[in-house]
Amino acid sequence: MKKKVSLAMAAAMAASVMTVSAPVMAEENVAITIFNSKMEIQTVLESKAAEYSAEKGVDVQVYYSNDTVAAHMGTRYASNDPYTLSMVDAKDIYSLGPDHAIDLSDQDWVKDTVHAIEVDGKVLGFPVCVEARGIIYNKDAIEATTGKEFVPTDYATLDAFKGLLDELVAGGMTTPVGIMKEDWSLAGHFLPEIYEEQEDVDAFVATLYDGTADLANNAKFNAKMDTFDVLMANNYAKDYAIAAERNVTEQMLAEGQIAFMFGGNWDWSVINQYDYSENMGMMPVPQNTEDGTNTKLVGGGSKYFFIDSSDNTSDAQRQAAKDFLNWLVYDEAGQSFVVNDCALVPAFSNNTLEVSDPLGQSVKAYSDAGNLIPNYNYLPDDHYSRCGASFQKYLAGQIDRAGFASEVEAYWASTTPVEH
Amino acid sequence: MDENKKAARKKVVAHGFMMALLIVLFVIFIFPFILVLINVFKNMGDITSDPLALIGAHGFTLQNFPNAMKSMGFWGAFGNSLIVTVTSTVLTLLIAAMAAFVIVRNKWLACTLLFSGMIASMVIPFQVLMIPLVSLYGGVFGVLNHRVTLILMHVGFSLSMATFMFHGAIHTNIPLELEEAAYIDGCTRWQTYWKIVFPLLKPTIATVAIIDAMAFWNDYLLPSLVLGRKELYTIPIATQVFYGAYSTDMGLVMAALLLAMLPILILYLFLQRYIVEGVTSGAVKG
Amino acid sequence: MKRNTMSYKIQQYVMFAGLATVLFLAVVIIPLIYGLYLTFTSWDGVSTQRPFVGIANYIAAFKDAAFWQALGRTFIYSAIAVIMVNVVAFLLAYLVTSGIKGQNFFRAGFFIPNLIGGIVLGYVWQFVFNRAITSIGRALSISSLSIPWLSTPNGAMACLIIVSVWQYAGYMMLIYVAGFMSVSKSLMEAAQIDGCTKTQATINVTVPLMRASFVQCLFLSITRCFMVYDVNLSLTKGEPFGSSVMAAMHVYNQAFTYRNYGTGQAEALILFVVCAVVGVTQVYIGKKGEVEA
Repeated sequence: MKKKVSLAMAAAMAASVMTVSAPVMAEENVAITIFNSKMEIQTVLESKAAEYSAEKGVDVQVYYSNDTVAAHMGTRYASNDPYTLSMVDAKDIYSLGPDHAIDLSDQDWVKDTVHAIEVDGKVLGFPVCVEARGIIYNKDAIEATTGKEFVPTDYATLDAFKGLLDELVAGGMTTPVGIMKEDWSLAGHFLPEIYEEQEDVDAFVATLYDGTADLANNAKFNAKMDTFDVLMANNYAKDYAIAAERNVTEQMLAEGQIAFMFGGNWDWSVINQYDYSENMGMMPVPQNTEDGTNTKLVGGGSKYFFIDSSDNTSDAQRQAAKDFLNWLVYDEAGQSFVVNDCALVPAFSNNTLEVSDPLGQSVKAYSDAGNLIPNYNYLPDDHYSRCGASFQKYLAGQIDRAGFASEVEAYWASTTPVEH
Repeated sequence: MDENKKAARKKVVAHGFMMALLIVLFVIFIFPFILVLINVFKNMGDITSDPLALIGAHGFTLQNFPNAMKSMGFWGAFGNSLIVTVTSTVLTLLIAAMAAFVIVRNKWLACTLLFSGMIASMVIPFQVLMIPLVSLYGGVFGVLNHRVTLILMHVGFSLSMATFMFHGAIHTNIPLELEEAAYIDGCTRWQTYWKIVFPLLKPTIATVAIIDAMAFWNDYLLPSLVLGRKELYTIPIATQVFYGAYSTDMGLVMAALLLAMLPILILYLFLQRYIVEGVTSGAVKG
Repeated sequence: MKRNTMSYKIQQYVMFAGLATVLFLAVVIIPLIYGLYLTFTSWDGVSTQRPFVGIANYIAAFKDAAFWQALGRTFIYSAIAVIMVNVVAFLLAYLVTSGIKGQNFFRAGFFIPNLIGGIVLGYVWQFVFNRAITSIGRALSISSLSIPWLSTPNGAMACLIIVSVWQYAGYMMLIYVAGFMSVSKSLMEAAQIDGCTKTQATINVTVPLMRASFVQCLFLSITRCFMVYDVNLSLTKGEPFGSSVMAAMHVYNQAFTYRNYGTGQAEALILFVVCAVVGVTQVYIGKKGEVEA
């Protein structure tokens, strides 16, 4: 029965294949496909790909999906129809790379970056850009309110920062802070800094897994949460923190109704849709600490390309993909594309072009000075949503700090360690 | 005379009440749509700062439409959507109505099995099927990236509900006597079906047509799995370039939405006539 | 004509339902069976390895408290939403078939919400709930209106129900309209001549004859509500603090976001069985009554 059905099915499908004329591709040209998971560069990437195709005689097609990267990759691999080059997040390189990516260790660009991802001695991920987290500020708005010059490095400690907030309030900006309530921001970006700024991150995470960590009495946890409490107290959406809309918050920051928001340089793609102030930038999250982390942003490589290793991709296609990556790193046009068209902070030291957006400039400055605390890329996949729910409860005043600490501890104790 | 007047007045009052109720409900229902209409003529900043303002601080703009059309490749996507929607809808109607007919009129085991299977399948979350589906038709048979594959899959998935609806309609609204009369006149079942039964299903056909056409026209998940090539993109896949995890240009999204919903509205207005026409008037004539 | 031979039956079946059977098996049943097989592996969705793990995924699913919470929540949401959708849809259908002026216009209007999907739906309704209603609340100083409903778990649930009713009522209205239209006018007229008022005629003549429409609408709304995903995603994303994650969203996250594909798939099958039992029971009861009527 089943056989009959599948035969009939195959026949039906075969008939369908024949009736539809497949798009005819010029065979002499190598055609490669690129999966882009950075929505804000889709338009420029598409038009650049068209130019690149015309110039190099390689047909480059750019695709985008608003599915999660993992789900989209899953369906493409399940259907045996992978992209030649796929742009994914760091964690996806660890999960997909060993099965699906080719070794890029022999490529020239490996020596020009510290951000490439290596798994089991093989370079599998090509870093697209550098991104970092911190407090985004609106300098113009601050100076207009306080009447004084704003020098971000003066406010590394929470005490100093609090003083500035009070000045702003006194100057008429009654609620100078915006907080994104999204779980990826709270527990994907803010909470991990508590791990990332520990002296030995891996050892600390190990204590979380085995349940011996005591967050409530951890100095870093308390320092960060003290800062978060101050942010909360000055939140423009204090009464409905958990319903604040991201677009509104970003617009208020861009247009100077608020002065500070925890975020990253990717937020520029939202801010620049509004009438943004000229002088904006990013600074480290203020903290009362002696360990120097309050002088650094947290971040590193972000978004990685890998090249498909399966039989669906020919060697010629793989070579074309490698050429494209080299073009991004070494060709002047490629360098300019990354920095000027995409407004990204380059991940390669040989690309010395000046970054165009103000948040990117801050990130580049901190990065060049070696003041980036590296990302921890081995968080479990459900960390941001499970701990995010707890963090949202904290933000909404449903649980106190001790309750939050114990929920995060309980999450870690219940989850299986990510191997790396 | 007086009685009549009273009754007439009562009728007017009832009529007025119903009208008022309708208008209130209508405003509530249409309000989000009006928000879309207002905001599509604004830029992103004005949309965020005051979605209710009729005209944004940056003035009235038509720019969202050409921008959206350009970056989604509107006409190509429109053509694809049209082909896929029309073919899938017609096939679904034909195939489902026939299946429903044989299921209603016979108590065979195969019919019962098929119908129960279909009913049960209507509650399968699509996420359960999506990976197996692409593994099979992409990984094993390699027939993805063709419109025909999408059309056949659309039909396969929508058959259950369409059959279910036709089943109800045939069961309750088509008198068996009509068919029996036809058999006595020497018609075969096939002829009877096409001459007597199918024409009587008009309201249901129109209902199913609009429901399915809308579902096909707006479907995102299945086409995104089947059509991995740009030149095959339908409108919903083409518009996904406007959505991002970290940023979304609402103006473009709304423009695309309005452009995409027009054909369905027109179809709806057109088919409405058949839904309204009613079954029995046809039966008397037929 | 030999109507009782096997070959006649087969010929008839293939002629009328052959294509339907083939397509249905090919697109739904076979992938479902394959999906069932995947629940016995610990596949993560992208790896080339698919190790066989027996019923471990089902054990994980049964132990997954968040899944059962989501399922319970889905029950509550569905129960309320299904009733409201059908009440509103029936009312709308009654109003727009009563011969009132401009009824075609109204029908189109009530249908429009179906055409607004995806992120626009979430955006527009977030605006309505977060800003429009709160500003009314503040203006009238009604405290229950001045705090955004989306910021509390119960409020978020209420918002989900409101938007679902808004979205599905027009759709179900369409089916009820077809039901109203299929009831013979002459029957209604006969009833009215016999001394029934219009309302009485509707209740005693039309409604019983519309049983098929009720069965269909209830079934469709039950299954839709049980599998709600789009509205959930675009309106609340499961927030605040994960309190509005419905079953389908949990399944999707489990399979694709947390990369426990096998467990997610197993949970999806459990969800399927639950929906199937509820849905088929409802249809069975409805059909039984139909035979009696």
